[in-house]
Amino acid sequence: MIHHLVRRLGLGVVTLLLISFLVYGLIRSIPGTPLTVVVSQTDPSRRLNPADLERMKAAYGLDKPWYQAYFIWLTNVAQGDLGRSISRKAPVTELISKRVGPTLALSTGSLLLTWLLSIPLGIYAAARSGRGDERAVSLVLYMLYSVPTFVAALALQVTFSLWAEGTPWELPLFGMTSGGPHAGTAAWLADVGRHAILPLICQTYVSLAWYTRFINTNLQEVLRQDYIRTARAKGAGTIRVMVHHAFRNTLIPLVTLLGLSLPALLGGSVIIEQIFSWPGMGRLFFESLRERDYPTIMGLTLLFSLLTLAGQLLADLLYAWVDPRVSME
Amino acid sequence: MSEPARESIPPPRPRGFWAEAWNRYRRMPLAMAALIFIGFLAAVALFAPAIAGTKPVICKYKGRLYLPCLAYYNRGWEPVVFARDKFRGEYPANLEAKDPESWAIWPLVFQDPYRAVRRDEWPGLPANPARDQGHPSSRNLFGTTQTGVDVFAKMIHGTTVALLVGFVSMGIAATIGITVGALAGYFGGWLDVVFSRITEVVMCIPPLVLILALLAIVEKPTIWKMMAVLGLTGWTGISRLMRAEFLRLKSAEFVTAARSVGAGPGRIILRHVLPNALAPVMVPITFGIAAAILTESGLSFLGFGQPPPSASWGSLLNDARSNLKMWWLVAFPGAAIFLTVLAFNLVGEGLQQATDPRLREARK
Repeated sequence: MIHHLVRRLGLGVVTLLLISFLVYGLIRSIPGTPLTVVVSQTDPSRRLNPADLERMKAAYGLDKPWYQAYFIWLTNVAQGDLGRSISRKAPVTELISKRVGPTLALSTGSLLLTWLLSIPLGIYAAARSGRGDERAVSLVLYMLYSVPTFVAALALQVTFSLWAEGTPWELPLFGMTSGGPHAGTAAWLADVGRHAILPLICQTYVSLAWYTRFINTNLQEVLRQDYIRTARAKGAGTIRVMVHHAFRNTLIPLVTLLGLSLPALLGGSVIIEQIFSWPGMGRLFFESLRERDYPTIMGLTLLFSLLTLAGQLLADLLYAWVDPRVSME
Repeated sequence: MSEPARESIPPPRPRGFWAEAWNRYRRMPLAMAALIFIGFLAAVALFAPAIAGTKPVICKYKGRLYLPCLAYYNRGWEPVVFARDKFRGEYPANLEAKDPESWAIWPLVFQDPYRAVRRDEWPGLPANPARDQGHPSSRNLFGTTQTGVDVFAKMIHGTTVALLVGFVSMGIAATIGITVGALAGYFGGWLDVVFSRITEVVMCIPPLVLILALLAIVEKPTIWKMMAVLGLTGWTGISRLMRAEFLRLKSAEFVTAARSVGAGPGRIILRHVLPNALAPVMVPITFGIAAAILTESGLSFLGFGQPPPSASWGSLLNDARSNLKMWWLVAFPGAAIFLTVLAFNLVGEGLQQATDPRLREARK
């Protein structure tokens, strides 16, 4: 067990190093630097003269070739310093910690909603397998699964801007708050809640469809087992068989899914946050890519890859933990 | 792979795996409907210039026959004579004026996917409405964009883009994935370690960084470069599955038998193991086509796609962001993306059920 963990961690570190090295090289070879991209967007008259540009390049370490700059970055990271954002003039850790909250609010909300809805739906679908109503529900879910998020988000925005304006159904389409002072925490929360409804719907429907299908398929497999027939034969009711006997055994794959959803929890969705101007991690990532803000891109990439690897490890550990038949060796 | 469609009449010998699979697939109405829909899309994609365009499909000009519509496939294929005679893309009036003897067969809908049609370009046809006035009408079936370009024409030509992206990029991804997975699984050892690490690294890099960085490096992201980038980033799942299949099959008895009669590794991989490992990877390849179409339209939507003028479905959605009142810019391309993705997902699902022996056993 320990041996396996150490091996996994060692491999993980190697992978992380490789990823950060590759990404650093990739982003440094994108045309444009943080200094030129941002300045050319603001005002042509404020463009730096070549001497100033050289001076600033030296100040940010952009005058060195990328592999040298990478090792400087790596040494700093090893000492716990992710560096300062070039375009935003603030430490990367500060930027990230500001954006984690909004992303977590959306992703935990969506995860909770997904689980609350998909478990009963999945059990229902498995219990009524093959009947008309189950087929209709499954078909709708399957179609939902194929709706791209950006199409759904735009469709919601169009619907609400065309038909809901001026009615009680009107919902804010952009941002996290309406701006301006709030009367108190409760008013602020209510405002954020109203802003979160549309992004939350967009973030939930795909995973809802996916989880429900997943639970349904797994349950159907379990329902063919002999011990379910035994339970039925001794007179257990449908609900008891489904919840008590069958569903418990579908928890194993479900738990691994939880581990794999870890990166999405903190990473946020670039597209949803971009469409709804939600100030989260995905949006920060998108903006920093556009601004060529190397330290921020690197900090976020490191975080995302770390979470992906940790999620895979967590999934394996959880799997071994809930299923005694699986051993980590 | 045998051609499954021809074997609908039972032949005397036992039928092959793919004929069996096709037989099962045929009985799934949804999967069949999806397959037919994809066939329809392919036809639209292939004949796009004949459905909507402002260039004649075929015309006789100064005594010779030309196919100016080919220019929609590749700008270089526009017959030189029209550039020499200063047509500037406007065929109806120029054909009439410069050669009264000429005749032409026109596309079904006289609208261009890349520019707004001007007034009387086609005799009696008014100019396309611009800004947010372009509601769907009998002249512009799906409305027009802010600059007055016909949405229907854009969507017809966008079908070509979408399907090309889906098939070409998945073709690249499948080639890389199958090669990497097969070599890693069959040879094992350090090759496996190296390939598995590469696969893991590509999997862990946020896809947006990888795609955007690669697109930015090649500069001017044409549709072909986009396909190459999507192919280069989308092979990891296939490679993993292929590796697992090869690990499972390489110790199978028929492989040992082949080796004992003196078959080399190349022959064993290509002739013996690969055909048996192909069925499971067909499913992620089909899903991958849907994913590639989705990614391309998503990138165009975010403004990272082909630079304008582009006919991608996603670029229409991008236009809609600046004016949400133009619902037709969301409804039609959105529906097209949705239906295409749904169709490929349904086909993938059908393939899975038709080829996976475990599911077949379970159905009984």
